[in-house]
This record gives sequence, C-alpha cells and structure tokens, in this order.
Amino acid sequence: MSLKFNPITYQSHKLPSFALPPMANLRSPKFFMASTLRSGYKEVDNPKKPFMPPREVHVQVTHSMPPQKIEIFKSLEDWAENNILTYLKPVEKCWQPHDFLPDPASDGFYEQVKELRERAKEIPDDYFVVLVGDMITEEALPTYQTMLNTLDGVLDETGASLTSWAIWTRAWTAEENRHGDLLNKYLYLSGRVDMRQIEKTVQYLIGSGMDPRTENNPYLGFIYTSFQERATFISHGNTARHAKELGDIKLAQICGNIASDEKRHETAYTKIVEKLFEIDPDGTVLAFADMMRKKISMPAHLMYDGRDDNLFDNFSAVAQKLGVYTARDYADILEFLVNKWRVMEITGLSAEGRKAQDYVCGLAPRIRRLEERAQGRAKQAPKVPFSWIFDREVQL
Amino acid sequence: MASSTGLSLKFSPLSTSFKQNKVRGICNVNSVSLPSRGMRLGSLRLRVSCAAKPETVDKVCSIVRKQLALPKDSPVTGESKFSALGADSLDTVEIVMGLEEEFGISVEEESAQHILTVQDAADLIEKLVEQKSA
Repeated sequence: MSLKFNPITYQSHKLPSFALPPMANLRSPKFFMASTLRSGYKEVDNPKKPFMPPREVHVQVTHSMPPQKIEIFKSLEDWAENNILTYLKPVEKCWQPHDFLPDPASDGFYEQVKELRERAKEIPDDYFVVLVGDMITEEALPTYQTMLNTLDGVLDETGASLTSWAIWTRAWTAEENRHGDLLNKYLYLSGRVDMRQIEKTVQYLIGSGMDPRTENNPYLGFIYTSFQERATFISHGNTARHAKELGDIKLAQICGNIASDEKRHETAYTKIVEKLFEIDPDGTVLAFADMMRKKISMPAHLMYDGRDDNLFDNFSAVAQKLGVYTARDYADILEFLVNKWRVMEITGLSAEGRKAQDYVCGLAPRIRRLEERAQGRAKQAPKVPFSWIFDREVQL
Repeated sequence: MASSTGLSLKFSPLSTSFKQNKVRGICNVNSVSLPSRGMRLGSLRLRVSCAAKPETVDKVCSIVRKQLALPKDSPVTGESKFSALGADSLDTVEIVMGLEEEFGISVEEESAQHILTVQDAADLIEKLVEQKSA
C-alpha cells in the first residue's frame, strides 16, 4: 500500500490519542524508526533561537532496570574477561586506515591518489550517497561510546575503569574509530563528494546524539547493539560487494574489513545476551520484546545537513533501493537473533514472558508480509538532490 | 467528523457547502432549525456526515478483533479507538491492510492518518468503495 509509516511515539496532547501513523514508503527501514522532530525547517529567522538540529521526540525514560540486577553484571565480570574480551583484536594485529589509502610518505603517493580518483569516477552517485551516509554514521562514534556508558552495571565510571565491561567499551570504541577515519579519508581523496557538507552533517549528528530507548538498561542496551552490529555488518558487506562489482577492489577491501570488524563485534554482543538468556530468561525475553516493540532505531536517524529536512529518509530510501540495507534485512536480523538465542525453546517463563516470547517469535514474518505488500504497491519515487554530492540528484 | 444527532432533515438550499451528487439513504444532513428571529441564512453551514452501514462497521470490528486477538466479550463498537483497544503501530498498519484486502480498496496515507476509531475506518471504506464503483 502507499501508506507511509513512521511510528509516532510522541506524547503530546496536541496529537490525537491515536492516529494511524504515516508510513514511510515501506521501501525504507524507516518503518522501524522512532520519529524525530525538526524544530526548524529553513535557515535561521530568529537570531535569538539558533537553529536546532533534529531531536528525539519520544519521552526519554531512564534507569528502567531494577537496581538489584546491577549485581548480575558485577558477577559476570570474570566471565566477560574470559568470553567477551577475547573478541577484541590486539592493536598490533589490527589493520589501520593507512593500510588502505595512498601513503603520503611514499614516492608513489601522487600516483596512488590519481588511481584512487580514477576508480572513484566509475562509481555512481547513488553508491556514494550510501557510502557517505555510512561514513557519517561511523563518525558519530562519540554518541555510541556515550550510549554504552549510560548502561547501569557496565558503564565506565572513570573513563579508565578496569572492569571487563569498561575495557571492552574502550577497546570497542578504539576499533570502531578506525572505520570513520578510513571512510573519511577515502571520501576526501575521491573528489566525488562535497566534504564540507559531509563534515557539517557529522557535526550536526554528533550534536543531536540519539536515544535508542535503552533506558540505562544493559539488557536493552546489549540487545540493541547485537542488532545494530549485525545491521552494519550486512550493510558494509553489501557496499563491499557493490564496490567489487563496480571494479574498485581497494574500496571493496575497505568496506570488507570494516564489515569483518562488525561481525566480530556482533558475535561478542550476541554472546552477552545469550548469557543473559541463560541466567535470566524471563527478564531477557521481556527486554527483547520491549526493544522490538519500540523498534530498533538507526543510529543516524537524526542526521541533518543544514538543508534537507528529510535527509535520513532520503538516504535510507537510496540504501533500500541499492539493496545495501533494506526492510527485509531488518526482518532477517530479527529472525537471526531469535534463532541464535533460541527464543522459541525457552521454558519456565512467566505469563508476560510467554507473551513476549510469542511476540518476538512471530514478528519477523509479519514484517516480511508488510514489506511484500508495500513492494507490490510501490509508486514511482522522485529524484532528490543530496548536498553531499553537490546537489546532484539520485533516484529514490 | 460530524456525527448524526438524529435531528430532523431540513435542507436549506441557501447556505450549503454540501455537494449533493448522490444522496444515499445512509447520508444524514444535519441542519439547525432556524429560530424565528434574525439568523442570517448566509451564515449557516451544513455539516454532512455519511455514516457507514452497520454491516461495514461490523466487518471492521471483526477484522480488528482478529488482529488484536480480543476475547469475544470485549466491547468493540464504532466508537472504539484503536489505541484504546491495544493496537500498536504495527497492528494498525496490518488492520488497514486487512481492510484493504477485505473491501478491495487502497487507502492513501493522508486518509489513513485521520482514522481514530472503528467508525472512522468504516466511513472511509464506504467512501473508497463508492469512489471505486463511481
């Protein structure tokens, strides 16, 4: 159907108590995102109130995990040291952005840059839009480290805490940091994109932050990160494949290495949740259902470039169209996690827990059905300009 | 949306914004009976509601019941608000899909946004069905 869906969780007396939420062309995973509010649409009219970037509109809930459960995470520190930290790669063994970029210290630097730019010329605009969106997402890393450090029981209390959880978070952040750096430098050298607009978008995005509705609750938090790491693994894997098809092997390697990091991270986070299912199946299944009901919001959903009020929607639509990240992927990830954590097999749940179990196990097929229907009815979409590529237009 | 209040049908030809092409038996035109002293006819506005057939309302109710797995004795009527019945955003999209399938219609986003109650859905369905056959 041509309905747009954007789940509105806005609690305002001004909105009707229920309105059928507008559905984004179900061609985009926007279906599953928390809604956002733009506080201004154009350039600043009122100098007293400088333009504010998009912000979350839902009521932000905090500390929903009962404090006694913090003990669980304390007691898991040894387990985490032996089972989770093992997924970190020693720095000496890690790739660095330098390994995939022209080497300024070498005589061949200019030649290497020329080659990079020639390869980049062969790559179409829609691919670059998606690559830029991915880069911007990676560059908002401060938000993600922050988010991990909001989680009760596992947060890094001093910034140099020696708990396994804190060690994990800092090392994870350090690994992720290379992703944004690498993509930034590649895009900078490519000459195909408007770096200033991109840099502005990054600044706005870090300023906006995000609330994935994890409520300082590590159950919710690690379920969220499990989902997200798999999503980025799939997404970067797809951009790698596309780059290869487009004949840019170096770019394919760049995206491919990022993807393999994400896979490793996905394995670590899903292992944490697997452990939680083992020691607290009821609490964990309730958390899983809660996150899925609230929908997994994309980290960069508040992105803004100073011009386009629908930037994230437009970017998502291109990603969907190119098959880099789609609504079907969302359903697949959900199904993967349900199977990985063997949610169907859990017994001894409370009544609420059983409802949650049913909800979660039945959700992927419902999403797929919705997606099929939307695809069947999809209308011709417009071409929109992206400031990231000098306002050149891309077909949604 | 105006609702029928059961007032007697008094159709004033002078001040209507109601385009009458087809009057079906289900359409009620509400008018205000004019007081004897000076109310200007020009300022009268007729609010027209086309209330859906009871069978349509019933069909909507049954689709909603099925989607939300409501027990048989739980009340679902025209006035029922979807949100109050426990529908989340996914439920509502699926309900609309179910209505589209059942009635052979296609619901546009703008119309869907105004659906608050079962009655609203039924009314919209009737309108779309009528447009389809027109």
